[in-house]
Amino acid sequence: MKRYLETGNFAITEGAILAGCRLFAGYPITPATEIAEAMSINLPRVGGYYVQAEDECAAMHMAVGAASGGLKTMTATSGPGFILYADPYGWAIGCEIPIVVLNSQRVGPVSGITGAPGQGEFYNSRYPTQGGNYETIVLAPNSAQEAMELTIEAFYLSERFRTPVTVLADQLITDGLEDISVPETDEEKEAMGLRFAEREFHKGPEFYPPTDEIDVPPVVLGKNTGAMCSDWTPTEEGYDIETVEAHHKHSYRMIYKIRNNKDIITRYETLFVDDDPDIIAVSYGTPSRSVKTAVKKAREKGLKIGMIRPISLWPFPDELFSQKTKYLVVELDYDGQMVREVKRAAPGGSEIHFFGKCGELPTVVEMHETFDKLLNNEPLRPEGWEKEAW
Amino acid sequence: MKDRIEILASGFGGQGVVRLGQIVGVAAVNQGFRVTMLKSHGTEQRGGYVRTQLVLSKEEIDSPLVEAPDYFCSFSTAAYKQFGHMMKDGVMLYDPATVEIDASKPFRQIAVAAKDTAVEKLGRAIYTNTIMLGALTGATDGLLDKENMLTTMLQIIPKFKEENKKAFELGYSMSTT
Amino acid sequence: MDKLARKYLRARKIPSTACSGCGLGQCHKALVKALADLDYEVDDIIWGTSIGCSGRQTFATWNGDNFAGTHGRVYPIARGLRIAMPDDMKIILTVGDGDAFGIGFNHVLHSARTNTQMTVLVCDNLGYQSTGGQFGWTTPPGIVTDSSPYGMSEPNWVQPDMDVLKILKEAGATFLARHVSMDGAALVETLKKAVQNNGFSLVHTVFPCTTNFAKNALGSRNAVNIFNWIKDRAAPLGEETEDTIWRTGVYHDASNSRPEFSQALKKQVSDIQRRFQDEGSH
Repeated sequence: MKRYLETGNFAITEGAILAGCRLFAGYPITPATEIAEAMSINLPRVGGYYVQAEDECAAMHMAVGAASGGLKTMTATSGPGFILYADPYGWAIGCEIPIVVLNSQRVGPVSGITGAPGQGEFYNSRYPTQGGNYETIVLAPNSAQEAMELTIEAFYLSERFRTPVTVLADQLITDGLEDISVPETDEEKEAMGLRFAEREFHKGPEFYPPTDEIDVPPVVLGKNTGAMCSDWTPTEEGYDIETVEAHHKHSYRMIYKIRNNKDIITRYETLFVDDDPDIIAVSYGTPSRSVKTAVKKAREKGLKIGMIRPISLWPFPDELFSQKTKYLVVELDYDGQMVREVKRAAPGGSEIHFFGKCGELPTVVEMHETFDKLLNNEPLRPEGWEKEAW
Repeated sequence: MKDRIEILASGFGGQGVVRLGQIVGVAAVNQGFRVTMLKSHGTEQRGGYVRTQLVLSKEEIDSPLVEAPDYFCSFSTAAYKQFGHMMKDGVMLYDPATVEIDASKPFRQIAVAAKDTAVEKLGRAIYTNTIMLGALTGATDGLLDKENMLTTMLQIIPKFKEENKKAFELGYSMSTT
Repeated sequence: MDKLARKYLRARKIPSTACSGCGLGQCHKALVKALADLDYEVDDIIWGTSIGCSGRQTFATWNGDNFAGTHGRVYPIARGLRIAMPDDMKIILTVGDGDAFGIGFNHVLHSARTNTQMTVLVCDNLGYQSTGGQFGWTTPPGIVTDSSPYGMSEPNWVQPDMDVLKILKEAGATFLARHVSMDGAALVETLKKAVQNNGFSLVHTVFPCTTNFAKNALGSRNAVNIFNWIKDRAAPLGEETEDTIWRTGVYHDASNSRPEFSQALKKQVSDIQRRFQDEGSH
């Protein structure tokens, strides 16, 4: 095991290369640029390729194009680049090509604040392209170490599910420094619970069975299989067709290969949720870290507060919200995004509250003030706002 | 030992605030600590600040935020004013050449004449930061191992080794005597 | 189905899904003929297509590997694929004028800059015809389309003083040519040269759309009218007249004069990898 004090950007690069990533397509954007830089240094040393494109749309297309030729590939960006990925996301989802995308969220909309963390792409990551009729897999780390491990997991899931997997990080993860342990031996990898999948290719020429089956390898171009790989609705052979029947079958596969195998994807962390807590704090990504400190300290003071941290965001882990209680959803945005999913998933009669902040983490002090307000049934009104944030 | 140690360094861009944090962080990792380090850059052109927040622990670190610094290296009066209020019972180190303090504050405040000493004893102001690093190491009263810190510093700043070593020792003695 | 079609094309896509009288078939026939003349096998080519008539009606006609990209993005897909696929296979793209000169133009420029091996056959039906017939970037002046009902008033990119092929030459393309689909043997010869360039080749080929362009511009869906209308306005380079819109022939041939993108990258990577393996073994 090698230990470093390094950024999440470095950790993500290490994870990707360990997972077998051999092409990274980049376009400079704060705060993900360092991933591109580290890839440009490290990939050639293991026989991999760094390519830089004319814009993010081209970058992800290059990465997906290379993936369609059989390489494990990745791209990384932040919000303003993430929306330019919409096109190639659609291509990768529809053609069922594995690829890993990392989004280091900053403060939006548009350019917003470049060097500060946000969580405005919770829903964008679920719907990264248009048209619907698909499910997506999104993993959200809350530390540099976990960013490395989930990058590896993203490669694993993308191979098994033949689909893009998004690692939804934020500026504090990618820019912040932490002690990171990088495994070197197979034993160390196993001890960390890391999973790996090799790239195989679909012998074709037929496309995929219209079932929820996973582990059917993706189509790979250049293997002389007569592959047909397109953004059109495919027949079962892969020809383009415009019929509702064909689209129904295609959609069924894209949706249910993920929904029906959710147990392979779902990851979460819970704390103090087994004694009927008065409040359950819900948070993903970096805010979950100060929330966790706040919850632990509140417990020391005798307050019955628990915590849920979804790690796999999509498919959303509804099952974690089975208790009827007060939920406090803490996010790095002011509009409230994940809180809507919690409201949907929690049983009737639950109270759903929201604490939003942008650009910096909620502090332990702020969390304790918020817990007190909730316990006293006071409204959560951000300073200067006339109404509750959500 | 407390379950977590919080170290804050803040000043203007170019004062070596991030570099200082990086050296402390790497040294702590070498000492077997878990470490988090956040760096925030204001917009220096408009008189903003640079801030480094370090948390050290023997256990996994949850919040990486410094909310009650055990040690605060203040490089400017602005930083002192902005973050001084977070101090409860920690130790604040400052250079009287660049920071004006409020002596009535309840926490311990150690004057480290880093800039003047750098110029007088080593001939160049560039060693100011190393003197502050020495002083911080001394102030932790053995928590941060002196030899390990020196070795780490010389790895990260491979230039002017003798001068940096001397500067570090000078700083170390300022907070330990 | 003739002998070439049996070897190179998929039975399911013959006859083509294009409209009756469409000139796309001439473009494809010329390309398949060029590949046959060069003795390429089905396994030697990956054929990519884009959106619009040129893309939709060509996808999965090739008997080997096929892909269809999103609108304008087939070029970066090809640039990524070019790195991953075997060096001895070639990429051929059949795309439309909107795809190459509109939505995808930035990507085309960067494919030219990097000299990525791809033979881009731009099948130009003079506008956006699969969406009903709107003007495009090569629509001649004055032409009535669904979105230029009073006549095309904007300049276009085949005017001698602002020719898109000049831009592409300056951008680094190593083979550039222009034809009309009825050029027959001349088009086949050009395509043979284009495919043999280990770099970025683009052959701009105007073809007749009977359904929308001809109906709007000429007021008739008669195939003969639009075929003659295009043919009469085309002339080989050096034989232009006042009425010539499309000057045909090879505009620029610097074939195999610059390193190909993916091969240059692979060489650099293999050098770096070797260097670090050597250092690692010390």
